[in-house]
Amino acid sequence: MNHDIDVKKVRINCYRQSKVAGEFMLQLRVPGALIDAKYLSFVQELCEEYGNGTFHFGTRMTFDIPGIKYENIEACNKRLKEYIKDVDVEMCDVDMETIAHEPVEYDPEQGYPTIGARNIMACIGNIHCIKGNANTQELAHKIEKLIFPSHYHIKVAVAGCPNDCVKANFNDFGIMGINKMVYDYDRCIGCGACAKACQHHATGVLTLNKDGKIDKDTCCCVGCGECVIACPTSAWTRNPKKLYRVTLGGRTGKKNPRSGKLFLNWVTEDVILGMFANWQKFSAWALDYKPEYLHGGHLIDRVGYKGFVKHIFEGVEFNPEAKMADDIYWAENEQRGNMHVMPLSQHEHAGPQA
Amino acid sequence: MNNIVKPVPCKILDVKKESKLEYTFKVESDIKPSHGQFLQLSIPKIGEAPISVSAYGDGWIDFTIRSVGKVTDEIFTKGPGDVLFLRGAYGKGWPVDKFEGKHMVVITGGTGLAPVRSMLNMFYNNPDYVKSVTLITGFKNEEGIVFKGELEKWKDKFTTFYTLDAEKKEGWNTGFVTEFVSKVDWASFDGNYETVIVGPPPMMKFTGIECSKCGVPDEKIWVSFERRMSCAVGKCGHCRIDEVYVCLEGPVFNYTQAKYLID
Amino acid sequence: MGYKVSFEEVNRIFDRLQGEYEIWAPKRFAGKGRYSDTDIVKYDKVSKVEEIEFKEKSDYPAKEVLSPITQSLFYFTEDEFRESKATSKKLLIFMRPCDINAQHHQEKIYLENGGFADMYYQRMNEKVKIVMMECTEGWDTCFCVSMGSNKAEDYSLAVRVGDGELMVDVKDDDFAPLFAEAAAADFKPEYIEKNQIELTIPEIPNKEVLTKLKSHPMWNEYNKRCISCGSCTVACSTCTCFSTTDVIYNENTNVGERKRTTASCQIEGFTDMAGGHVFRKTAAERMRYKVLHKFHDYKARFKDYHMCVGCGRCTSRCPEFISITATVKKMAKAIDEILAEEGK
Repeated sequence: MNHDIDVKKVRINCYRQSKVAGEFMLQLRVPGALIDAKYLSFVQELCEEYGNGTFHFGTRMTFDIPGIKYENIEACNKRLKEYIKDVDVEMCDVDMETIAHEPVEYDPEQGYPTIGARNIMACIGNIHCIKGNANTQELAHKIEKLIFPSHYHIKVAVAGCPNDCVKANFNDFGIMGINKMVYDYDRCIGCGACAKACQHHATGVLTLNKDGKIDKDTCCCVGCGECVIACPTSAWTRNPKKLYRVTLGGRTGKKNPRSGKLFLNWVTEDVILGMFANWQKFSAWALDYKPEYLHGGHLIDRVGYKGFVKHIFEGVEFNPEAKMADDIYWAENEQRGNMHVMPLSQHEHAGPQA
Repeated sequence: MNNIVKPVPCKILDVKKESKLEYTFKVESDIKPSHGQFLQLSIPKIGEAPISVSAYGDGWIDFTIRSVGKVTDEIFTKGPGDVLFLRGAYGKGWPVDKFEGKHMVVITGGTGLAPVRSMLNMFYNNPDYVKSVTLITGFKNEEGIVFKGELEKWKDKFTTFYTLDAEKKEGWNTGFVTEFVSKVDWASFDGNYETVIVGPPPMMKFTGIECSKCGVPDEKIWVSFERRMSCAVGKCGHCRIDEVYVCLEGPVFNYTQAKYLID
Repeated sequence: MGYKVSFEEVNRIFDRLQGEYEIWAPKRFAGKGRYSDTDIVKYDKVSKVEEIEFKEKSDYPAKEVLSPITQSLFYFTEDEFRESKATSKKLLIFMRPCDINAQHHQEKIYLENGGFADMYYQRMNEKVKIVMMECTEGWDTCFCVSMGSNKAEDYSLAVRVGDGELMVDVKDDDFAPLFAEAAAADFKPEYIEKNQIELTIPEIPNKEVLTKLKSHPMWNEYNKRCISCGSCTVACSTCTCFSTTDVIYNENTNVGERKRTTASCQIEGFTDMAGGHVFRKTAAERMRYKVLHKFHDYKARFKDYHMCVGCGRCTSRCPEFISITATVKKMAKAIDEILAEEGK
């Protein structure tokens, strides 16, 4: 077939090019990755009416609908109107008529206006998980409002605890729910369950002392809450003040994948939201107000960490517990250098040799 | 209100080294224990532990202590003139009235000799109180032997089987105490005897079985239990077995009861 | 005498009582539960009736008021023990019937067992005045009716909570003057007569059956399921076990204190002796020990009733979902098996 398709425009509309000429895969946003189950039948309808009848779990927790023919995109977009309204406008309070603080025209019949800010991933968080410290969906919704719609590329994920099941660490911004646990000396029976749990699951910062009570190395505590879960007496409890850890600059990719580095520790939601409120402004400045297909981490690389910090925290007030990296030295994955891979014949072997 | 867990300070009169790990502390006290009872012995800052009375007399009590825990380790740093804190005596000791006029077979393992020591000395000093005493005493090794002087002395009047688990020692047997139960001339007692067994839990269990094999009825066997205790007055719960509190109904039990006391 | 009292009036009464009493009641602690954004209900001092959690069973029992998890027994210097002091005030405690009965069960151990009375418990117990919280519905883990502890008549006051008001039954004349101006009302508290769970406690006829039950394979299941955390015994309204520990305030000083801290037979180390000997090494043995205490041993000792009051808190607090009532039912089945085997 003779196609004349502006694939860049289609991509901005959240349709991904297929190897089959003229076919695309739609990616529906699910910020926070929790949604009313009724949308499953809607997705099924889209898959069957416009797609090829298959469905893919998007790697960023989107609903992926493969096999949509280019000529069906317009009709498909019209069908998205209600979904985008329910999920982004209603659930996340997103203002579709503003991008990077500038007013834009938004036509709800035209599908997604931008692809820049990727779907905000989240684990199930504390609405279900016994380990979770944070309501990951709520936070994801609040962040969605700040970074979407936008032409500036950014990947954010929210984990309920430092277990990081959602792999937030491989996002530009990886957020993890943590807490400064409270210890009630008088309720402690010295069973040592917290110390064992901390040793087994976390960083081993707790020790049972000779008085039959607990000593804590606060410096290395990751704020995960294993002590609270293990405690039979509620001697360990969570602090009502919810805090977060944020890793920065993680990414996948062919060029130079790397895991994120610890950026913020013990910050409140206000600090995180204040930071994301500046993201689009920062990105626009960094790219001289011309959006490029360049992910957040590369943007930060271009500006430099110190410059990034100056822009991103403009007007943001830190909570007293908050800590921020003074500098960050990322360690690029070694795969570019192929340092450790070699023909099997060159491997050195320990133990008895054949 | 009377505070049952408040200890009283008592002066250490003498410390005698029994073995590398066992010391006997003579403490000044007016407390009048009976044979086989125990006291709560404590050092402020370190803690409290139940220790059986190994001998007593007018104004003094002996405790033979094995250095195995933080309280006993600390006690070992003390000497004459230092203060230990005591409360007690607690528990039911040996039913010596029942033993009067009988042949006695006493079987001990390790420091299990301590809770019967005062009773053995009473038998030794009052030869008419019981008809005879057969003493089977075992220790793990030569280093573990306690009350060496008395062990020698008792040989005069008691029938003795002294043994080390695996080591050889002149004048001593080698083997577990269980091996000597059948060597006792049970038939000569004509049924007029009582048996006392004290030692670590497995030793007491297997010695009891050996006695049964020799036809000793349960009601003629007496044992002394050792359990963890925090209070010694039936509150803390650590020593409870079924409906029995070792600190209250024990530490001495008749085997008819003890055989059912499965922790 | 019965009265109908608005919360406002109750709070005025509370104000008048505060000089003489500490008022203790179940209170909700938001976000303090085991899991994030869950609450805990435990006993605490209250000054306003609105602070009292009437709608939910407390996670932790009333025993914590009389025998706190950690309490100081003595303060000492090198050669002197000085007794800790108790609060100078009397204690007005809001309790449901199960908790009131549980306290009587605890009295048997603390005040009677072995003929020794524990001064620390006694001095608190003598200060207690009970406000019975009417409890007619119960919750899904309750089985107080089966344990005969659904009723408690020995209260000073009994209350039923309504919309912004309490119905109060005043039995204790000490409190009568406080209600002089309150509106009289016809009120006598009611008691729950049927729980969602009904439990028949099996009889263990003799020592032989008890011995066989101890080694019955039914307990092995708990080696896999029970994590020996002790949540059940801490939440138990009748468990009394404790350990004693000495602490020093500073390594260089000779001052410190002797403390009593709640202990649990479910937690490893409960039987550890200085010489290294350990009894009940497995979770199954520890579970057996606890269950038999609650449903056999205590009654065998004190003769009149089982230790358990059926408050169900052990089931509610177990992080591994081990149900005490299901366990007792399994035990009943095991006893039947043993008896059938013997009858052959």
